[in-house]
Amino acid sequence: PPLLSQAFPLPSLPRKQPTVLVVCGPAQNGAIGLVCARHLRIFDYEPTIFYPKRSPDPLHRDFTTQCEKMDIPFLSYLPTEVQLINDAYNAVVDAVLGAEAVVGEGREPCAAILATLKHVRIPIVSLDVPSGWDVEAGGSGGISPDVLVSLSAPKQCARRFLGRQHFVAGRFLPYDVQKKFELNPPEYPGTECVVAL
Amino acid sequence: ERGQRCPPGWLWPRRAGVPKGAPTPSLPRQEEAQAIDQELFTEYKFSVDQLMELAGLSCATAIAKAYPPSSFTTSQPAVLVVCGPGNNGGDGLVCARHLKMFGYEPAVHYPKRPSKPLFEGLTTQCQKMDIPFLPEFPAEAALIDELYGLVVDAIFGFSFKGAVREPFGSILGTLERATVPIASIDIPSGWDVEKGKAGGLQPDMLISLTAPKKAAMHFTGRYHFLGGRFVPPALQEKYALNLPPYPGTDCVLQLA
Repeated sequence: PPLLSQAFPLPSLPRKQPTVLVVCGPAQNGAIGLVCARHLRIFDYEPTIFYPKRSPDPLHRDFTTQCEKMDIPFLSYLPTEVQLINDAYNAVVDAVLGAEAVVGEGREPCAAILATLKHVRIPIVSLDVPSGWDVEAGGSGGISPDVLVSLSAPKQCARRFLGRQHFVAGRFLPYDVQKKFELNPPEYPGTECVVAL
Repeated sequence: ERGQRCPPGWLWPRRAGVPKGAPTPSLPRQEEAQAIDQELFTEYKFSVDQLMELAGLSCATAIAKAYPPSSFTTSQPAVLVVCGPGNNGGDGLVCARHLKMFGYEPAVHYPKRPSKPLFEGLTTQCQKMDIPFLPEFPAEAALIDELYGLVVDAIFGFSFKGAVREPFGSILGTLERATVPIASIDIPSGWDVEKGKAGGLQPDMLISLTAPKKAAMHFTGRYHFLGGRFVPPALQEKYALNLPPYPGTDCVLQLA
């Protein structure tokens, strides 16, 4: 969420209301999206969540409750009419599929969501891996995010990222893990938890 | 100024458009603070881990703003983090880990450790970041002054009641004689949560978590920060916390 504010500061948003659509998939990437939505609300954005397939994980269910109790609306369906999304929101957070996803299976509801997101004209912020991309090879014909937030460290497919801003959120990684995987992370400014690459 | 108490209205920065005669913020008493916590866990389903991580991060961030590493006169930006036997100690462990990532050299003293996975995990995380755990508390205040540029008091929090048990009585006695600045997490340890403590610890910094407690009215140090930016708006309204707005996406707010 702090990166969303850096990439899309509140005063710069085109719509009158600071609305953001957060699309959450069924696994860990989706759960991170739920946490992101909650912090966006604390930061005075107006997030709306689309979370069609809910994870049974108790931790993820608690994240859902936290969002509900913060009065964050949950859409019951995602409009296929893309113009409705373009008109209602300033940006979309893509928290559908992460590095663990298996590409090409075309599982619903993710396939339908991605088919819609491919056509939105408002900026997309992807968490860790642009959903639908292969984590190593990247994507062709998939979604094209405006902003990518790599979690822990950039994945191979980040090399194919062509959007405006690429952030890394990995300040919490202990030094021995960084060394072991030869991550060579950049310097984080001050007390920031994200850094632009 | 040191020695002067802020009148109640001065605890909050002036909000644009707030009319004169607006209700002063409610400073929760001990039972209210506990009720808010309980509601966060039972109604909102936050886990202790989640809130403790955000609280500890707030503390480290506030410290970094008030005492940047470059301001230390010791050869390293060395910080002594003293952790008590409960959740305040847990906040201290999280704080120590983030201080390390912010470029400080923290050392932890954690004499009474609960055998619960939460605290064992936090301890391991610190150890794996090469944060030393001192087996003994420095015997003399002068030693603390020489070795450290700051002490983080994470001994007792807002649930503290009654007498101070050892080894914390002796520890607080030594800290009271130290001249190095002390940053207290939520409540200066040893203070009554509502009334304060005239002869006790006089920290230079107080990081109030969630909302300042009544004891904050007796705080005379230079820096008072608010942290724990996770209180849902509905909960703020229910308890009439009247929290001032945090700047941008900062997780701390400096109070007047």
